[in-house]
Amino acid sequence: MSADIEKIKQRKKEWEEKVLKPALERFWLKESPTEFYSPADIEDFDFPSQVGFPGEYPFTAGTYPTSPALPAPRRGLPAASGQVRAATYSGYGTSEDTRDYYIEMQRRGQRRGPNLAFDLPTQCGYDSDNPLVRGEVGKTGVAVDTLKDFEVIYEPFQGELELDRIASNFTINGPCNILIAMYFALAEKRGIPLDKLRATPQNDILKEFIARGTYIFPPRHSMRMFRDSLVFFTRHCPHVNITSVGGYHIRGAGATREQDLAFSMAILCAYLQEGVNAGLDVDSFAPRFSVNAFGGSMEFFKEIAFQRAARRMWAKVVKEKFGARNERSILLRQPAGAHMGYENCTVQRPLNNLTRSVVGAIASALSGGLPIPMPPFDEPLGLGWSLEASQLSEDAFKILYYEAKLNKVLDPLAGSYYVEHLTDEIEEAAWKELQKIESMGGVVAAIESGYMQREIAKSAFERQRRIETAEDLVVGVNCFVGENELEVQTSHLVPHPYDPVKREQAEEKQIKRLADLKKNRDNRAVSQLLKELRVKAQKEDENLIPHFIECAKAYVSEQEMCDVLRDVFGEYQPATL
Amino acid sequence: MNKSKEKTIRVLVAKTGLDGHDRGAKVLTLGLRNEGMETIYTGLRQTPEKIVQTAIQEDVDAIGLSCLSGAHKYLFPRVVELLKEKGVDDVLVIGGGIVPPEDIPFLKEKGIEEIFGPGTMVGEVAEYIRKNIKRK
Repeated sequence: MSADIEKIKQRKKEWEEKVLKPALERFWLKESPTEFYSPADIEDFDFPSQVGFPGEYPFTAGTYPTSPALPAPRRGLPAASGQVRAATYSGYGTSEDTRDYYIEMQRRGQRRGPNLAFDLPTQCGYDSDNPLVRGEVGKTGVAVDTLKDFEVIYEPFQGELELDRIASNFTINGPCNILIAMYFALAEKRGIPLDKLRATPQNDILKEFIARGTYIFPPRHSMRMFRDSLVFFTRHCPHVNITSVGGYHIRGAGATREQDLAFSMAILCAYLQEGVNAGLDVDSFAPRFSVNAFGGSMEFFKEIAFQRAARRMWAKVVKEKFGARNERSILLRQPAGAHMGYENCTVQRPLNNLTRSVVGAIASALSGGLPIPMPPFDEPLGLGWSLEASQLSEDAFKILYYEAKLNKVLDPLAGSYYVEHLTDEIEEAAWKELQKIESMGGVVAAIESGYMQREIAKSAFERQRRIETAEDLVVGVNCFVGENELEVQTSHLVPHPYDPVKREQAEEKQIKRLADLKKNRDNRAVSQLLKELRVKAQKEDENLIPHFIECAKAYVSEQEMCDVLRDVFGEYQPATL
Repeated sequence: MNKSKEKTIRVLVAKTGLDGHDRGAKVLTLGLRNEGMETIYTGLRQTPEKIVQTAIQEDVDAIGLSCLSGAHKYLFPRVVELLKEKGVDDVLVIGGGIVPPEDIPFLKEKGIEEIFGPGTMVGEVAEYIRKNIKRK
């Protein structure tokens, strides 16, 4: 083999001298604008240890032995959507508004459980009636203050769509345990055992400190909350995912590909360690870890390599560092794969975002995922996707899947000199950065010192510098912006199921409902429960989730619980830029 | 004009409300610094009251407000209102983030002088500030 490699290297030199050089001279080029890869670029390539078969360690070729097969669509009918997967991300205004939205979507044939977007007060641990949050109630999602709101949202989910027959997603991090306790309280009130519930709370607090910003408590206390969820779900809710780690948030905040992978792995390690520290066997909980659409950029081959590198690195981390033996612990579960990166959508000539999202979707199919073009093209235009934009995305997916048959072959670029080289390169850089974080004392210490936040800001600034100097090109933004380019108009003709008039009224309505509820509940029970919460929160070993469930049943509000914890834990003070 | 006598422009970059999307705010902070301005970044979760207080304390020439949560129609005008209440009328207030085009006339009427959306170059913002600051 190595003699062959030597020969190839020799041949490459000859080619550069005899073929490439004259070609460059003919076009007055100093450097070649293109690259070419050969076996010499993956000298020690070993298929069984570096790629392997799909669904086998190290999972480079794919998480599962086969691609999730979709049913062929019957004539006149849409392909059946699995009932036990949650719907698309949604949540609007008051809990009644969101209930009505789901009723309308069910009327249009949706059979899935809710995938709830919460407003920022809910995500940051504030009630709707707090004067500090004026203007934000019901804006980025539904407002949830108490169990009452969950009771209302889930009214359309009964009978055929009862809680034990659907899956719910909750994009919630800082106050995850409180919100999930409200869901558990709802289930208990309906007589549904917790071990029948299927749900995925995002529950990835560490990335909030470096990317998304909806933190509440300091990192170390946040990790205690994470431990509580890990232990409670492992013991009582075998179908509730523990976390959905969000690599793409980190990339969206500005991280490079390598930082994204390293930081995400560092975060996953910290979460695994919590479970181990709590005395649990890693194989008892690691299978309930999932990842929420890693990565995201327009660099097609690099995103494909990134997905492969991420699977391989995760497998090595869980197997080699944590000693997992169960294959299900070692595989990286990711409902959505490669994509264009939401931050790469442009407001300028927005339909171009459809083209971009299709490029991302193809990268997904070629790297082990379904070709789902995300996001819909109107992502940067305002809040909420239009039905037309969502339809175009879904149709593009169907075209890529059924017409282009992109998912027929798994990991079709395995063995490509270029893609294997890139995969190795990305993984190697990520390991180096992960080791650096570990030498700082791990991810929590690296967040406390502000290291990760500063590195991401630097990378974001560098990307902006490259765009401003046109080293990186973005069509319609820093190039092809002349007056002869046609501004393609987009219009929304189909009204969105959520009426914008309701959005304007949501805040006042939600505040009024909360005021009524606070007046009419048993307030003596509430203050007693809050007193007990304080005592329990002060005991580091106490798992707070059972008590949150009791609080939820008595209609204690989210902020009332969070305020006690703010007192006991303190609040996170961000590092300066 | 003696260039050395020219005062350095001071800018406050502020994240309004609870929105945590601060990539743009941070890039602008670093970018305007590169353009020779003194920039102060507030960090996340700033109420209009806190923003105005910081702006007065730091004696800034301009405030750049950032919001991607959809709460701009309440939060941005509130900052201008509070500045007026404090008798401050010579600070340039501009905004950025995810602001639907149909909201821009409303915001301008309320005293936010320009809105810079996604894809804006830092150089453009710097030039706009230099030309439009009210204290020379």
